[in-house]
Amino acid sequence: MTSADSSPLTTHVLNTGDGVPAAKVDVSLHRLDSKLMIWNMLSVGTTNEDGRCLGLVSREAFSPGMYKLRFETGSYWENMGQNSFYPYVEVVFTITETEQRFHLPLLMSRFSYSTYRGS
Amino acid sequence: MAGSPSPLTTHVLNTAMGVPCSNMALSLYQQDPSTNAWSLITTGTTNADGRCPGLITKQIFTSGVYRMRFETAQYWESIGETCFYPHVEIAFTINDPGQKFHVPLLLSRFSYSTYRGS
Repeated sequence: MTSADSSPLTTHVLNTGDGVPAAKVDVSLHRLDSKLMIWNMLSVGTTNEDGRCLGLVSREAFSPGMYKLRFETGSYWENMGQNSFYPYVEVVFTITETEQRFHLPLLMSRFSYSTYRGS
Repeated sequence: MAGSPSPLTTHVLNTAMGVPCSNMALSLYQQDPSTNAWSLITTGTTNADGRCPGLITKQIFTSGVYRMRFETAQYWESIGETCFYPHVEIAFTINDPGQKFHVPLLLSRFSYSTYRGS
């Protein structure tokens, strides 16, 4: 398989409705500029066949703060010819300990989703 | 409360402690389909059962995209804990406003889930 992802922040998108990884989901990572109160996009990518999106952020760029992972889930379901209750999913989280690894999966179906902080 | 019940409801549950999330601040936004601008429809606080009646009236509940925002970190802080999620926003699309829509939030300090209920 592919080499391990060196990004301290990883994700994994799973289509729990069909029991498969969600491939070709556009994902973007943003960090909040707390002085200006605006979101800056750090990276954008697409999930691979395994539902993963490598290289979200480098260790160097991974500073403490408020982050947002945005998943274009509505487009994913549309490309499969189906509708979904959610046009997109955004997960906003706070990072204080940047030496740790953070795994933020998204388990989703057309009418539900869940996420958790993994490692 | 007078008037017919809201066609949109929520229920916030603290799955870590097995209790409803009471006193959680939340807000509902509606997106203007022509400008994509969001407008605030209502703000509220969950009651002892984790519910917030009266989110929206049938009259203004039109088809379109909505966003419900839950002040999750504030809730956990009020009970002396931190939360990985400063807030949770759930955006959803209403195509048939004649139906009832239940958008619950099942929440712990490090996880959450939601589903379309009725």
